[in-house]
Amino acid sequence: MSKRILIVDDSASVRQVAGIALSRAGYEVIEACDGQDALSKLNGKVHLIISDVNMPRMDGISFLKAVKAHPSYKFTPVIMLTTEAGEDKKNEGRAAGARAWIVKPFQPQTMLDAVAKLVLA
Amino acid sequence: MMLMRRKSTPPDSAAQADESTASDALRQTCLDALPIWAKQIDTARAQTEQAIVELSARFADIVSGLDAALLDSKDSAATGAPDLAATMDDGNRQLARVMEALEAIRDSRQMLAQEIRSLAVYTGELSKMADQVGMIAFQTNMLALNAAIEAAHAGEAGKGFAVVAHEVRQLSNSARETGKLISERVGAINESLSHIVETNEEAARTEGDAVRESGARIQDVLARFRSMNMRISQSAADLRNKSAAIKDDVAESLVQLQFQDRVGQILAHVASTMRDLHERCREPSGSHDGVQFLADMARTYTTEEQRRNHQGETAEPIAAQAVEFF
Repeated sequence: MSKRILIVDDSASVRQVAGIALSRAGYEVIEACDGQDALSKLNGKVHLIISDVNMPRMDGISFLKAVKAHPSYKFTPVIMLTTEAGEDKKNEGRAAGARAWIVKPFQPQTMLDAVAKLVLA
Repeated sequence: MMLMRRKSTPPDSAAQADESTASDALRQTCLDALPIWAKQIDTARAQTEQAIVELSARFADIVSGLDAALLDSKDSAATGAPDLAATMDDGNRQLARVMEALEAIRDSRQMLAQEIRSLAVYTGELSKMADQVGMIAFQTNMLALNAAIEAAHAGEAGKGFAVVAHEVRQLSNSARETGKLISERVGAINESLSHIVETNEEAARTEGDAVRESGARIQDVLARFRSMNMRISQSAADLRNKSAAIKDDVAESLVQLQFQDRVGQILAHVASTMRDLHERCREPSGSHDGVQFLADMARTYTTEEQRRNHQGETAEPIAAQAVEFF
């Protein structure tokens, strides 16, 4: 059975690039366009979450905190995929429980390596 | 910056009134223009995003299509080419067997010709024996003739002997005829055997030529098939390599389209700041703090380019970076 990955990003092109790469690598992909949309799609087993930081309605850090507070998903690894390269945001993400930080633009292989490492961990 | 300059310049007498009027007009223009600019930026951003999403979807389809084509091509290369090569090898083996069979037939024919030639030796002997029969008949005839002459010399007493001599001559004549007949028959057999040998040799030559020619033609056809197969394989490999290169290029283009996310964020921020400025322009004069406005604006930047631009630095293109694990 393939692993399920939730991608949360308000940019459809980023969801597409990440989604194609993950699907080709054999993962099942669920897409959400912001934190709120992602929370509504969180059901069943999700092996890993990839989330943007700056999004409308609910940003990535708030979504990350909500995930870590959820009894079913608090151990689900979360990768932040963002244009934010500043240390403050990065520290905020680390403190909220993110496992990795990828700055856009990203190479799909870089993301796949990080996903494989965290899904297997 | 304009608002800050206005705040830092102290008002003074008549010029103050003019400046105030100009400032009010400018403020009204800003109030009118800012929402329009913000809307224009939103429109441009939405159109760009829509176009990029459609473009990336097309690129994604191309990548998937090329992936599928490459997979099919690899499967064909993995299964089809060896089949063809095996068929060619099998063809060569079958041809060798046919050549061997034809050569075996030629050898048999040569052995048959040899046997026929050895028969000619026997017929030669038979011919000599027939000649000897003729010679014996001739000598017997001469003896019988002499006996008849002697019997005639003997008169009445030789009459009985003359009858015997006559019969012996008849017998020798018959033997001579038989010897002659044997010679004629042996000659005919010899002629027939020579004809058979010649025909057989001619047939063997024709057969040998046909076998060699057929073998050469089949080899030529197989060589052409092999060459064609190699060219097809080479073309297929070239096509696969080119397709893979195109797929990599398209996939890389897809990655490059991520610029839309950064551009979208920058434009959204500009539009949002314009709306914010519009709201502040509507506040009473003198309540606006330009420094605070710029500080608030800087605090809400989401990209490194925005921060650098704000500080008057050059915003370099951002390259893909490594993952940072926590």
